[in-house]
Amino acid sequence: MATIAVPLGAQEQGQAAEAVQRPALSEYLRWSVDHKIIGVQYGVASFLFFLIGGAMAMGIRLELWTPDLDLMVSGAAYNSLFTFHGTIMIFLFIIPMWAAVGNFVVPLQLGAKDMAFPWLNAFAFWLIPPAAVVVLLGYFVSPAEAGWTSYPPLSTLFSGDGQTLWALGAHLLGISSIMGSINFIVTILNMRPPQMTLWRMPLLCWAVLATSIIAVMATPFLAGALTLLLLDRVAGTTFFDAAGGGDVLLWQNIFWFYSHPAVYIMVLPGMGVLSEVLSVHSRKPVFGYRMVGLSSMGIAFVGFTVWAHHMFTSLQPELRIPFMITTMIIAVPTGIKMFSWLGTIWGGKIHFTSAMLFGLGFMSMFVIGGITGVMLAALPFDIHVHDTYFVVSHFHFVLFGGSVFAIYAALYHWFPKVTGRMMNERLGRIHFAFTYFGFLFTFFPMHIVGMLGMPRRVAVYVPEFQPWNQLISFSAFVLGFSTFIVIYNVIKSYYHGPIAGANPWRALTLEWATTSPPPVTNFVDDPIPFEDPYGYGTEAAAAYVEAVEAAFSPGGSAARTER
Amino acid sequence: MTSYVERRVKPKLSLDRDAELRLKNNRLGMNIFQASWIMVFFAMIVVNWQLRYSYAQWPPAGVTPFDPLLPSIATLALLLSSVLVRRGRQSLQADEVSGFLACWRLAMALGVAFMAIIIYEFATVSQAALATQYGATMRLMTGFHFVHALAILAVMLWVYRAGLNDMRSGRPYNSWAVEGTAKLWYFVSFAWILFYLVLYWIR
Repeated sequence: MATIAVPLGAQEQGQAAEAVQRPALSEYLRWSVDHKIIGVQYGVASFLFFLIGGAMAMGIRLELWTPDLDLMVSGAAYNSLFTFHGTIMIFLFIIPMWAAVGNFVVPLQLGAKDMAFPWLNAFAFWLIPPAAVVVLLGYFVSPAEAGWTSYPPLSTLFSGDGQTLWALGAHLLGISSIMGSINFIVTILNMRPPQMTLWRMPLLCWAVLATSIIAVMATPFLAGALTLLLLDRVAGTTFFDAAGGGDVLLWQNIFWFYSHPAVYIMVLPGMGVLSEVLSVHSRKPVFGYRMVGLSSMGIAFVGFTVWAHHMFTSLQPELRIPFMITTMIIAVPTGIKMFSWLGTIWGGKIHFTSAMLFGLGFMSMFVIGGITGVMLAALPFDIHVHDTYFVVSHFHFVLFGGSVFAIYAALYHWFPKVTGRMMNERLGRIHFAFTYFGFLFTFFPMHIVGMLGMPRRVAVYVPEFQPWNQLISFSAFVLGFSTFIVIYNVIKSYYHGPIAGANPWRALTLEWATTSPPPVTNFVDDPIPFEDPYGYGTEAAAAYVEAVEAAFSPGGSAARTER
Repeated sequence: MTSYVERRVKPKLSLDRDAELRLKNNRLGMNIFQASWIMVFFAMIVVNWQLRYSYAQWPPAGVTPFDPLLPSIATLALLLSSVLVRRGRQSLQADEVSGFLACWRLAMALGVAFMAIIIYEFATVSQAALATQYGATMRLMTGFHFVHALAILAVMLWVYRAGLNDMRSGRPYNSWAVEGTAKLWYFVSFAWILFYLVLYWIR
């Protein structure tokens, strides 16, 4: 029989599940170097930005209810709205939200007491509020209106001072992201317990490692681009001005060298979440564990070779085909993941929990986003639908489908560990239904209007598109409404949810082998991971789960269980 | 007094497990930071290269190429400074704090000389060059590098002063402060070599 090693300490100190107090709410409002507090700070802050960005999306859809300009005072106001919507959602919601998940879960999964650099971790988070203030101030001071991509000359000659603030804020956010990523890499590589080799590491950690490698290598390019943009705007240089010998394509090259890999910064952690959720809630080992881990690395490295597909219409013709090929190649590691997830749930004992539903939602939506991505990688098609709503649809299927669904899956999966309470499953399923159908009917029709020729980033369109746009807007309002369901569920469950216990999902990774919420040092003793983080369906796994339950259940137990 | 060499050579004796892990984390973190931040310098090189292709020739017609003499002297000063920083670290490892301080004093003086030359080069770019991206990218790159050199020189000064104080007070020296700062100075030197080649030699 296998020797079951349960992280001790909790029971040695008489800490049953209920005995570990949740941190006071005031803890979350001040400087803390505890990775769990910082994780929640990241999560709550980025969710607030999600609400702001989402409200802007509702404004956009309200404007597009009719073909004429009626809600906005001018086209410029509409330009500012989608500029800030994109900026907030990418820089202030999705990227920091993954820092939230990584911060809370990764050290626990590694059996570490904290991140490698706790102070740096806190500093990286506390850069975000001032950066957000700087960016958002720009909305009220002659706002930026060049889109989140900020292409010159729109961002140099035609945007107000808000564009300068946008660039400054993005600079700060980039620095925060680099610091956070260095912390993740060092934590993952140096702070695993001796028994946890890289090939026994949870797949979320693999995904966060790959994401962090992308962030540390690509984000400095954004810093370079923003420096040039700032100099052009305030110091009179002409790096992007052809009249002064500059080159507008210079921005596009440097910006997309960061921003295409940034797509994977936004999606890879979601893929890591999915590997956890699908395996746990279908009680099956991850199919092709090593290939899933390696495919994260594959996506990270191939991701650096595809940036110019964003510039097909402006790129030198001889470079188009190579970038078309590399872009199509990146579908291979992504496809490996998709088939691996299908193999994971195939024949599994699937529990249709809210987390699982959102995981399955991720898969279905991301497949659509992936397929349209391959379509857009095909040069002739890309040129046909360039700058149309087809592109808007594609990247929302990738980013909302690949990030937000995974964020919700993570929320339902790890909420019990964070708060010690279960979320309401009935409300979770209602939330899923509204999100899934709201999302699908918001963004799928955009493919059609895009192929019919409706351009993106315009507030006025031809009347023939109005029925489609009304369907899209109505669905968007349904999607917006779904957010209130999850907010209500979180608040209700936080105060009145059933006690979760240490391991409500009977999972095998280390974050479940401690109390919920975990004590300040996570584990009092050095925890010993189970031999296979996804080895469900074996006698040893069942014994491990029972041992954890026995150790951390109220009244707590036969301390160490060995069989 | 626990010397740096004791703690470095015999970590088991004087570093507990947490301190050992901290040092390991610091080293890996510094390596990743350097690998990351050098990408900004690569981005500047990409800027320089892409802007070259906006012109039929480089430097553009009517612009005199930069004279590499003074920058070459500055580069030599910077390289020598890096060598001295390394010698200083080795002195500290041999528990010769005075040797460390002497090497770092000289290294900082050479660093200041390097920066003085770069300021001169920055300030004396011709108007003809400045009217083109040839001059603009030169100022961008040297200015960007200068900011880094200045910041890290300030850290070196801080470490040097801490070394002086610790030598007087007899407290054990913080070896990571020296190691980390030295690595940052090597980084500045490496980044400059890249810029130096691109700005003054690769046409």
